[in-house]
Amino acid sequence: MQRFLDPVVLAEISRLDLIARTVVDGFVAGLHRSPDFGFSQEFAEYRAYSPGDDLRHVDWNVFARTERAYLKRYRGETNSLLTVLLDASNSMNYASGKVSKMDYARFTAACLFYLAIHNQRDAAGLIVFDDEVRNYIRPSTRQGQINRLLHGLELAEPHARTDFAKPLDHFQQFLRRRGLVLILSDFYESPEKILRTIEPLRFHGNEVVLFHVLDPKEIRPDLSGPAILFDLETDHHMEVTPEYVTEEYPSRIQAHITALRDGARSARMDYYLLVTDRPLDAALREYLTIRQGRN
Amino acid sequence: MGFLSPWFLVGAAAAALPVYLHLLRRHTTTPHPFSSLMFFEQRTQSSIRHRRLRYLLLLAFRLAVLLLLALAFANPYIKRPVAHSSDSRMLLVIDTSFSMRAGSRVSDAKREAISVLDSRNPAERAQIAALGSELHVLTEPIQDSALLAAAVQTIEPGDSRGSFAELARALRSIEETTPGPIELHLFSDMQKTDMPASFAEMALPPSVSLVLHSVARDTQPNWAVESVRAPSQVWDPKRAHVEVVIAGYHTPAATRTVSLVVNGKIIDSRKVDVPAAGRATLQFQSLNVPYGWSRCEVRIDSADSLAADDDYMFAVERSDPQPVLFVHQATDSRSPLFFGGALASAAEASFTLDSVSVDHLAAVTLSKYAFVVLSDVISLPPQFENDLLRYVRGGGSILIAAGTSAAHRARIPVLDDNIIEAHDYSREGERFVTVGETDPSHPVMQSSEGWAGVKFYYAVAVDPSSSRIVARLTDQTPLLLDKKIGEGHSVLLASGLDDLTNDFAVQPVFVPFVKQVARYLSGTEDQNGSRLVDSFLELRTTKDEAVSVEVIDPQGRRPLSLKEAASAQSFELTSAGFYTVRLANGKEDVVGVNADRRESDLEPIPEDVLALWTGKGSPDSRQQANLGAHQDQERPRGFWWYAMFLVLVAALGESLLAARYLVTQADKP
Repeated sequence: MQRFLDPVVLAEISRLDLIARTVVDGFVAGLHRSPDFGFSQEFAEYRAYSPGDDLRHVDWNVFARTERAYLKRYRGETNSLLTVLLDASNSMNYASGKVSKMDYARFTAACLFYLAIHNQRDAAGLIVFDDEVRNYIRPSTRQGQINRLLHGLELAEPHARTDFAKPLDHFQQFLRRRGLVLILSDFYESPEKILRTIEPLRFHGNEVVLFHVLDPKEIRPDLSGPAILFDLETDHHMEVTPEYVTEEYPSRIQAHITALRDGARSARMDYYLLVTDRPLDAALREYLTIRQGRN
Repeated sequence: MGFLSPWFLVGAAAAALPVYLHLLRRHTTTPHPFSSLMFFEQRTQSSIRHRRLRYLLLLAFRLAVLLLLALAFANPYIKRPVAHSSDSRMLLVIDTSFSMRAGSRVSDAKREAISVLDSRNPAERAQIAALGSELHVLTEPIQDSALLAAAVQTIEPGDSRGSFAELARALRSIEETTPGPIELHLFSDMQKTDMPASFAEMALPPSVSLVLHSVARDTQPNWAVESVRAPSQVWDPKRAHVEVVIAGYHTPAATRTVSLVVNGKIIDSRKVDVPAAGRATLQFQSLNVPYGWSRCEVRIDSADSLAADDDYMFAVERSDPQPVLFVHQATDSRSPLFFGGALASAAEASFTLDSVSVDHLAAVTLSKYAFVVLSDVISLPPQFENDLLRYVRGGGSILIAAGTSAAHRARIPVLDDNIIEAHDYSREGERFVTVGETDPSHPVMQSSEGWAGVKFYYAVAVDPSSSRIVARLTDQTPLLLDKKIGEGHSVLLASGLDDLTNDFAVQPVFVPFVKQVARYLSGTEDQNGSRLVDSFLELRTTKDEAVSVEVIDPQGRRPLSLKEAASAQSFELTSAGFYTVRLANGKEDVVGVNADRRESDLEPIPEDVLALWTGKGSPDSRQQANLGAHQDQERPRGFWWYAMFLVLVAALGESLLAARYLVTQADKP
C-alpha cells in the first residue's frame, strides 16, 4: 500500500483525480487497522429530534420501536469547510528528483480534496496565490466540486515570487466562515512575517495548518565543489562553496524550520513539514487528526 | 645563447591555444537553479580564488610543455669555455708516405721536428705521430723532450700513399675524445696527390691551429715504372708478353733503359724514348721463367731523386697446362666439343680438357684438376658425388650445366639446390627467351657484351636462396648462379652447354665466358701477380678456423700471430716487395706489391691552397682563423635534452592536475 503513496510513483500518473483516488482509497483501506482514527461515515451518536431538524436523518427503526424520534449522527456528517491555500511561486518549481515541490503540493491538495469531499462530505475550496491571488474556487459540496478543484490545481503553474502580505486581504475576504485552512508553501520568508500575515486567519475561528513543503536537497544540499547558483524567484546569481553548504546552510534552514514551527504553535496553528521524497500519507493523517479533533 | 634550428620557435605560437581555452572559455560554468538563496551567503572568494590559482597552475604547465617543446626542437646552445690554456698541446706529424723517400725528405722532416721540439716551452706537452695512409700516433702527450726526440728518430719512410683527409679525420677524432686546443705541426713534402678530391675533407677542427713545415721546396722531375701488365700464370713462355708503361712526371724528354729482371737476373733490356712529362709503352715479347713461382721486376735507369719507384715487382707462376675434368653423358658428344674448343681458344688460359663420361668416373682422381665441369648429367655415382663435394669444400670449384636431364631429378647434384620447374620455351609463344639482366661486377661477366643475342630454348628454374644470381633470363628465371661451398665455388648454368637447349655455344660470347669461368674457377683470377701497398689480400673465403694461413712479408718475417693465422680473413699489404702467402685452400701464392704510383708525382700543393688550409690565405680565412681562436675559448654546448626533461616533468604535472580538474568538473550540486 505504501507504494501508492510514494510521490515518485504518483508522478508517473498524469491525472490528478486518479492520483487522489489511488492515494486516498489506499490510505483509507489502511486505516481500518488503526483504532486511533474514526471513519467519517461510521455511526457517532443519537440525538433527540428537535424541531427544524432534517427529517431525512431520523432513524425510523428506532422510532418504530420506541416511538421517539432520534436523529442518527455520523462523524462525517459533522460538515466542515476545507480551504487549501496553495503557494504557486517560482520557488515551488524546484526539484532535485522527479517530483517538484509544486507537484508534491498538487498531489497533497488533490488527495485532501478527494478525502474531504468524497469521504467526509466536507465543503472544499482552493486559493492559488503567489504575490497575489491567482485563482479562487469557493468551498462547496456541490456536484462536480472535486473536478473543479482538481482542474484548479492543474491550472496552478508557478509564476512569480511568494508574498503573503499582498493577498492577505483577499484571504480575509474569502474565509469568512469558520473551517479548516491548509496552507501549502515552502515559506521562503521570515517566520515572523509569515506568521504575522497568517495569524489573522485564526480570528474567524479557523483551524490553520501550515504544510511546509521542502525538497530534501533544500534541507541538506549536496555540493562537492564550488558552483554558481541562481534564485528561481529573484534570478539572483551567487557563487557558493561546498564548505558553506555543508557546514552553515543546514543549521540556518533548520533554524528557519524550528522558528516557523514554534511560531505556529505559539499562534495556535499546526505546522507540518512535508519533504518531497516522503509518502503522502503524512498530510492526510494530519488532516484527519485535525478533522477528528473538530468533531 | 643561440639556436641551431630557430625556425622551430614558431611552434611556440601553439601556446595561444591553452591561453584561449583557459582565459577566454573559463567562465562558461553553467549556473545551477535553486529555490531560494535567502540562506546562502557570498562567502566564496577564497575557494574560487584557490580554484582559479589551480587553473592558472594547470595553464602554466600546459604553456610550459608547448614552449619547452618548441625550445627543445630549436636546439638551443650556450657557449662555454671548453679548455684552459694549460690543456693546449703540440702535435708533431711527420709524413711517411712513399714520396718522402725522395732525396733526404724524411731526415729533413725529422731534423726540423726536433728543432721545433727544442724551441717549445718545456712545460708544454707534445705528441708525435706519423702520417701514411692513416695517422699512427707514436707517443702520448708528454713533456719529456728526450722521449719525444727518440720517437721522432724511429720514424722511417713507408710505402703507403699519404692522405691529408685522413689526417683531418684523425684530428677530428682526437679533438672529440680529448678536447682542447691543439697546435699541429705537419712536416711533409705537401704532395699535391695527397689531397682529397674535396678540400672540405681536409678541414681541421676549429681548435686545431696548423703550422706547415714543407721539406720540398719545388717540383722535382721523376721517372717511374707506372704499370706492368703480365700474366700471373705462364705455361708457354713464348706466348707470354709483358707490357710496361714508363711515366715521366715533370721530366724532360729522355731515353730510358728498361730491364726485365727474373729472380734477380736481367733477361731482357730495351731502350725507350719517354716524351717530356709523358708516358711511353713497350712490350717484352716473351717471359722466360722457370717452373714454379718467379719474382719478376721491371727496372728503369732513372737517376732521379725517387729511386724507389724505378722498380715494379710482379710474380709469375709457370706450370704445365692444368687439366679440367669434363663429365658428360655417354651420349653427349657435343658439349665437350664446344667447351673444349672454347677453352683451347683462350690464348692465355693454360688448361687442357679431360673429357670423361659418367660411366668411366671410377678411376678419376679429382685433386689434380683445376676445376670440374658437370655437363647435363642425369646421375652421378654416389661415391664420386661424395668425392666431388669434398673436393669443392676443400677449395676446388665446379661448373654445372643443367640441361634437359635436370627434368629427371629434383635436385642439382653437389649444390643440393631444389629444381622448381623446367621451362621448355620452344613450346611457348616466343620459342625462346634471352638474357634479361646480368651482374657485371661478377668476374665471370667481365666481358658481358653479346649476351643479349643468345637464345635459350630450355632452362631450369632453381631455388636461388643461398646463391648469388649473376644473370637472369627475360622471364626472371635465374640463368647463372654462383654459390660458395666451403672454400670452393660452384657456378650453375641453368641450361646446357650443347647447342640443343640454347645457341650459346655457337655465339661469340661463349669463348670469353668459358675463359672467364675457367680463370674464376681455377683461382687464377684471384692470383694477381702485382698489387698496391695498402690493399688487402683475401686469405680465406669462410670463417672456418680449421686451416691456418701463412704470410711472409718482403723482409722475411711472419707478420701474423698464430691466432691471426688461424682466423684472419684478410691481410693488409703495408710495404712494397714480394709477399709469399699460403692460403687456407692450400694454394701458395706470391704477390709483388708496389707503391701507389700517384706518389711518384712530386708536385707540391700550391702556396695559396696551403695558405687557405692554414687559415692565412684570405681575409675570410683570417676571420675564420680568428673565429677558430675565439672558439678555442668558447664552444657551443647544446642543452636541448634539458628542455626535453623539463617537458617530461611539465607533462607529468599537467596530467596529475588535469585529472583532479576532471574530477571536480564531474561534481554537481
